[in-house]
Parts: sequence; C-alpha cells; structure tokens
Amino acid sequence: MELANTLRQDGESRGGVLAHLERLETQVSKSRKKLEEPQNAQALEARIHELKRLRDKLRAEVKQRQARVKASTANVEPDQILEISEQEILERKQENMKAILQAYRFTGISGKLTSRGVCVCISTAFEGNLLDSYFVDLVMEKPLWIHHHSVPVFIPLEEISAKYLQTNTRHFLFVLWEYLNAYSGRKYQADRLQSDFAAFLVGPLQRNSLCNLLSFTYKVKPEGQSFPFCARLLYKDLTTTLPTDVTVTSQGTEALPSTWEEQRAAHENLFFTKPLHQVKGNIALSAPMTKVMGFQKNLSRLSGQGPFHLTRTTDKQVFRVKSTASRF
Amino acid sequence: MSAKEMDETLAEFFRRTILKIPMTEMMTILKTWNFLSENQLQTVNFRQRKESIVQDLVLLCEENHASLNDAAHLDIIYTQFHRHQKIWDVFQMSKAPGDDIDLFDMEQFKSSFKKILQRALKNVTVSFRDAEENSVWIRIAWGTQYKKPNQYKPAYVVYYSQTPYAFTSSSRLKSNLPLLGQALTVASKHHQIVKMDLRSRYLDSLKAIVFKQYNQSFETHNCTTSLQEGSLGLDINMDSRIIHENKVEKERVQRVTQEIFGDYPQPRLEFAQYKLETKFKSDLNGGILAEREEPLRCLVKFSSPHLLEALKSLAPAGIADAPLSPLLTCIPNKGKNYFKIRDK
Repeated sequence: MELANTLRQDGESRGGVLAHLERLETQVSKSRKKLEEPQNAQALEARIHELKRLRDKLRAEVKQRQARVKASTANVEPDQILEISEQEILERKQENMKAILQAYRFTGISGKLTSRGVCVCISTAFEGNLLDSYFVDLVMEKPLWIHHHSVPVFIPLEEISAKYLQTNTRHFLFVLWEYLNAYSGRKYQADRLQSDFAAFLVGPLQRNSLCNLLSFTYKVKPEGQSFPFCARLLYKDLTTTLPTDVTVTSQGTEALPSTWEEQRAAHENLFFTKPLHQVKGNIALSAPMTKVMGFQKNLSRLSGQGPFHLTRTTDKQVFRVKSTASRF
Repeated sequence: MSAKEMDETLAEFFRRTILKIPMTEMMTILKTWNFLSENQLQTVNFRQRKESIVQDLVLLCEENHASLNDAAHLDIIYTQFHRHQKIWDVFQMSKAPGDDIDLFDMEQFKSSFKKILQRALKNVTVSFRDAEENSVWIRIAWGTQYKKPNQYKPAYVVYYSQTPYAFTSSSRLKSNLPLLGQALTVASKHHQIVKMDLRSRYLDSLKAIVFKQYNQSFETHNCTTSLQEGSLGLDINMDSRIIHENKVEKERVQRVTQEIFGDYPQPRLEFAQYKLETKFKSDLNGGILAEREEPLRCLVKFSSPHLLEALKSLAPAGIADAPLSPLLTCIPNKGKNYFKIRDK
C-alpha cells in the first residue's frame, strides 16, 4: 500500500522506495538500540533486586520449616513410643484372651464359632486326669442340626439329640457330656486294670465297647493261690463310673473257707464303692492279712496250743505273737 | 512220635488255605495265627518251591493235631489281610423302643449266635476271632441237613459290639441270609434287621461311612485337630504376569466343592447305581417318548477306582457344574450307593 502511495506522489520520491526502506531500516536499528540500553540496565537491576528478595524470602522460609520439623519430631517421638506400647498391650491382651479360650476346655464343654454355627468340644476327665475330647459341629439353622461329629457310634447320640437338641440345646450338651465323661472314666478304669494289675489277672479282661460290662478273674496275690475270684461288674447307668451290679464268685466248686468268704464279700463291697484300679490297690494291700490268718492257723495246728493272738505294729510289717498258753 | 492222621479233607483244606497265602505275607500270617511255634517254623526251609513249603507246613499242623477250628482261624486271618477280595454288604439293626440298656457280653453273644445257627442247620461251622475296638469276625461255613459244611465258600460277618451295624461278605448262598440275620439280631439283643443300600469292597470305608467317622476335622481354639488347607492344586498366585481367566468362577467352584466334600480323604467306594423309574421328560414338544404314560426304567451306574474322589474332582476339572447334583453328593451322608428314583 505504501509503495503504491509513494509511487503516486512521484517527483521527489523516485528512488523513494529504496530510500524509504533505508529510512525504515535505520529507524528500526535506532529504536532497537534505544530499547536495549536503558531497559537492559534498569530492567536487569530491577530483576536482580526482585530475585534477591525472593531468595532471601525462600531461605527464611526454609529455615523456619526446618526448625518446625525438628520441633515437631521432638514432640512426636514420645507419642510414637506410647503408640508402640499400646500395640504391645493389645497384643498381650489378645494372647491372654486366646489362652483363656483354650483353657475353657477344662470346663468340659467349650466351643468355637464357625461360619455356619458352632463347633462344640466336649472334654472328659477322670480323677484329675484329662482324657479324650469329642467334637460336635452344629449348624445354626431352624431346625438345628449336626453337621459332623466325633462321638463314638455306641453312644446314643441320636436318642439324646431327638430328645433335647431342638428344645433345650444346653441340656442336650450337658447330657451328652455326662454320657461321654462316664464312658471315658469307665474306659480309663478298665485300661488301668489291664495294664497296671496284669499280674493279678488270670486270663484276659472281658469288656465291651461301652465298658459297661466287665468280667475278669483275679488272684489276691500275684504268686500262686488256691482261690481265684471271678468278678462281674455291670454298669447299668451309662452316666456313672461306678458299677450298679457286682458279683464276686469263687472259681472252684468247693465251698470257700470262712476267711475267704469274708474276703469275697469285702471285695464285692469295694468294687461298688471304689474305682476299679483303686480296688485292686486295696486288695493288694490286704494280702498280708491273709498271710497272717494262714500263719495263725498254722501255728495252732502245729503246736496243738492256741488260740494265738497276733497284733500288728502300725507299719503292718512286724507281728508280735502272744499266747495264752503257758508254754511260750 | 507218630502224629495222629489228620482227616484227608481237613488236610486238603489246610493245604489249600496255606497255598492261597502269598509268600511275602507267609511269616506274618503264620505268626498272627500263632498255632505253630517259633521252633517248628524254623524247621521249615522257606527257600523251597511253594508246594513243598506248604506240604511241610501241613505236616506240622498234623503234628500239632490241628482241628477244623484251627483251620477256620487261619482262614479268618487270611481274609482279614485280604478283606478287599470280598464284597461287603451292610445291615442295620434296631431295638424295640423302651429296650433295656445294652449290656453286651461277648461270650454270651458268641454262644447265642452259634446255638441259633446250629439249631436250625445241623451242619454248620461257626468260628470267631476277636478284633480291634471290641469287634468280632465270624466265619460261617454252610451245610444242609444232609451235606457237610462247604469250607470253601464261607460267609463272614464283622460286628462291632453295641452298634446297630453288621458287615457281611456277600455269599452266593443267599438262602441262608434270613437265618444269618436272625442269629445276629437275637444274639445282639436287637429287634429287627434291614439290609442297607450300601455295598463296597472296602470294609474300612463302609465302617467310616456308617459310623460317621469320615470327617474328623474340627475347628477349635487349640488348633490341635487337622484343618488342612484344601487348594485342589489350583495355585492362583503363581506368577503375577499370568492373569487367570475366570478366576472368580474358579474360586467359586473351589469354595463350593470344599463346602460339600470337605478337606478330608473321601471314603472309598467303587460304584453308585441309580435305578430310574421316571416318566420321560423332554424339552421338545412331541416325540415318541414324550407321550409315553408309563415310566421308563433305566439303570445308571457310575464306576471308579475311587468314586467319591472322582466326583470331588469333577467340578474343579471343569467337567461338571458346581454344585453337583445332590444325588451324587449325598452318598456318604445317607450311607447309600444304590438309589431307586421314582416320580414324586
């Protein structure tokens, strides 16, 4: 456009285009110089001031923050120590709880919640000896049902659950515990009799699954004896560990001499009142008594005198013989 | 010393019974039998041909005046070692309501059982051997009024005292079954006996099923009972670069399978048989069978060396949907592997 205008004005501006361009060029370089110099100096100075100010400000801020962090860590440390010990306390509490839950076993009936109900553990014991545990896994639905269990097949579980499981679950567990505990106790007695008193037994101990019928022949002394006894114990009440019926008979056909008859009756009584292996213990202790009686009889027979009186010392080891006859 | 000559048939019975025993088990079985003494056994040269060993042993039996009862004992012991060679049925007995507590006397049971059989059949051999857990193995060789008992086809009964179950080896002489049932029922002081729909070679598995002993894992606070982590061989976290397709579905299948079959080893059965008497059901309308009014009769039999383990692995292997049909999964619970299915 300008070119067009300069061309129209002609005359003076014939070399006008080029001269114009030259003029524009010098203008530009002049203005550039103008722009640069003062702006450079001033602008740069201003910029420097600005940056310095910013730097100082940031430095101050950094220092402040560092100081704050130090102060805050100093404050935080005691808090964290507290947190750690709280955690320890909780862990200890948890372990304690677990131990208590495990110890519940000793009450006889304990349990653990499962995803579908509860798994009940029935622990049995006899005379302070912890025996087997049995489990019943219950599903909490209406009606309540048993998923699986470890109760032996000869315990009447179906009967007991038919009576009580739906109506009174607590009583169901208690009755089941009674049966299992008594069974464990009877089994323990029979096992002890077989193992600890094998020397006194003549032949095998006859028993059954429930250990509610025991039949055996035994001697009072382990070494040879003329009158072994046959004992037959019946436990008609499945919730007890002592027999309901006891018969002790002599094996031979001849009538028992009176002392043996006394013994036989005494043994019957013992079986009724004491656990089996304790009865055997008692019988073993009473062996010296029979020796004494035999000795007494022999003395009378041999000397033609008598009767003799025998007294025992307290430790039952020494006997003093006293005779009414004048010969001694 | 001259040994009393043993009856030829008895000697032959000894010979055949001892011949059956594999050489690897010979000493164990003879020692369990406890009829020939250590010294006597040492006199036998066990490096001979089996025929000669057996001959020597039979001679020793003659020396000891072995009776039919002793031979029967040996037969029982052999069968106890080889119980899988027989197929076992299960019978269930029941008491009358209000019956007394069971004061089971093993000697009384044995004598009562024997008497009942002997009164009914003049010719019968009954032998007993006590076994673990207060149980007894009974061997019965059946005869008739006029024939001596056949010692080569005996029936066996295994009875655990004070339980309602008896296990019998299926005898081909089915006619004696009612008598056997009666003897068992009366001797064990029960009222009734019924044959269960349960049969297998694996006696111990049958016992585990009816005594409900196959699942023995329980949750306790003591963590003493077995609680195995069942994973069915599916290691999903193997490698993080591998993404399992259908991971959710696989986990669901595993969970459902574990709920139904549990973590315990399954009792061993060889088959399950389903007798169907149902009307034909079809999705397609029409068709020849759809119009049939009478029920179709057909038999479906599943066989396997270990049926329940095979069923357990069906869904995880992708062959069947989970959960499986209750007809298959109820087998140990119901104590049945024979089913009759009718339309309701």
